[in-house]
Amino acid sequence: MGTDRYAYCSPLRRMDPLGKGFVSLLASVVCLCCGMAAVGLFTMLLMGGLTILWGGQKLRTFGHFMKIPLAFLAIGSLTMVVQAYPPESALLVGIPVGDMLWGVDRAGLWEGASMFCRALGVVASMYFLALTTPVVDLTQGLRRLHVPALMVELMELIYRFIFTLTDGADRIRVAQKSRLGYGSARRSIDDVGVLASMVFLRAWRQGDRVYAALESRGYTGALTTLARDYESGKPCFWAAAGVCAAQLGIFALERWLL
Amino acid sequence: MNHNSVPRWARTGAMAAALLGVLLQPASAMHIAEGQLPPTWCILWGLVSVPFVVVGFFSIKKRVDLAPRAKILLAMCGAFAFVLSALKIPSITGSCSHPTGVGLGAVLFGPTATAVLGLIVLIFQALLLGHGGLTTLGANVFSMAVAGPLVSWAVYQLLKKAKVSPTVGVFCAAALGDLFTYVVTSVQMGVVHGGIAKFLTVFALTQIPLSIAEGLLTVVVFNVLVKYSENELHELAVL
Repeated sequence: MGTDRYAYCSPLRRMDPLGKGFVSLLASVVCLCCGMAAVGLFTMLLMGGLTILWGGQKLRTFGHFMKIPLAFLAIGSLTMVVQAYPPESALLVGIPVGDMLWGVDRAGLWEGASMFCRALGVVASMYFLALTTPVVDLTQGLRRLHVPALMVELMELIYRFIFTLTDGADRIRVAQKSRLGYGSARRSIDDVGVLASMVFLRAWRQGDRVYAALESRGYTGALTTLARDYESGKPCFWAAAGVCAAQLGIFALERWLL
Repeated sequence: MNHNSVPRWARTGAMAAALLGVLLQPASAMHIAEGQLPPTWCILWGLVSVPFVVVGFFSIKKRVDLAPRAKILLAMCGAFAFVLSALKIPSITGSCSHPTGVGLGAVLFGPTATAVLGLIVLIFQALLLGHGGLTTLGANVFSMAVAGPLVSWAVYQLLKKAKVSPTVGVFCAAALGDLFTYVVTSVQMGVVHGGIAKFLTVFALTQIPLSIAEGLLTVVVFNVLVKYSENELHELAVL
């Protein structure tokens, strides 16, 4: 599902998830803290390059996932950029609405563009982790970081059940559609409602069955699993240092030029 | 700039097109994406959310210690919340949206468990689907797993005490919880980037049709659950 099926095919899959998490986190934090357009764009290119060349993903896959948050980014940036100005202000684009002039001036546009580029950089950094590390490895990493066992177990169980429930929901939807479901807006709401409630009922009853199965196999309250042996995460720490140095270099260059 | 050169019909058309564009926001628009909040605000919203998640965690721990079966059932509920957010519901504006599950989650599992389940679901949505983000996790948890569910739960309990029919109670809880989620998202964005009213207009006002759609959906789900699984609802202390 989503990024996970690509992460399972990545050559970096066997590498220590904490190392990959460190690269992602450091690149995100530096990009956020610098807050400049050039650093954001550079981080996106660098982390995109790492995901594609080192993480073994296709450019098309990376591009597809980069498009997902664009909707919110575009709406957020536009809302930020468009402001009300007094009449006769010098704007790049503007239309009068009532007594005010609504539009975009140079400073606002630059600020919006900076935020947009910074966001792209952070999104690309996050995708490096998501497209190279399956969730099961991430939860093992969380266990090593001493996140409470109950939380990690809940995450593992939820992750496992998501696939079971999605599969059931898909089959119900096909059955509904083959019986002329989803014909109108009103019908759609009814059908989605029935679908959601049936999925809930199945989830609840399946939960009961899973618990009975676990109990009959000696379940005492803890789901202990063996951690996989990972390759050393040392290359990730070198990569993180390189990415961070390059980001800071671009930051200094942008400050010097502007 | 000479604005009089632009005909009135063109200006009206442009405004209408812009408004329509805003109304047709896709579903992921409710999550604050990576990089949209500065580091200080990311940390601040994270800190604000932590107490709610901690309280939720201990309430779940207590339930699990009393009955280990609760862990499996809560995990199923978390997975259900994730699957629910992937379903498509038609909006009155003609576009499609996804339910937030804020109202249903709060009514079924209570606001404390919803905070923890919401946190996990939001992490999965960020990593697997690219909705939201890890740096903005604190802000998203606060709007979608804390504030919205709290409002939904409070509205539902209040209307239940006032002996209002459960259908009306569930509708109001889901619609208001959904709307409040957007209001909080607008405030989170507006406080940082200036113009809370502007963000409220774009993110909250335009979401009223979606909130109504989600309210109706939640009523349908609730009615089916009452019909077929009253025992489970009693177990969850909903009825």
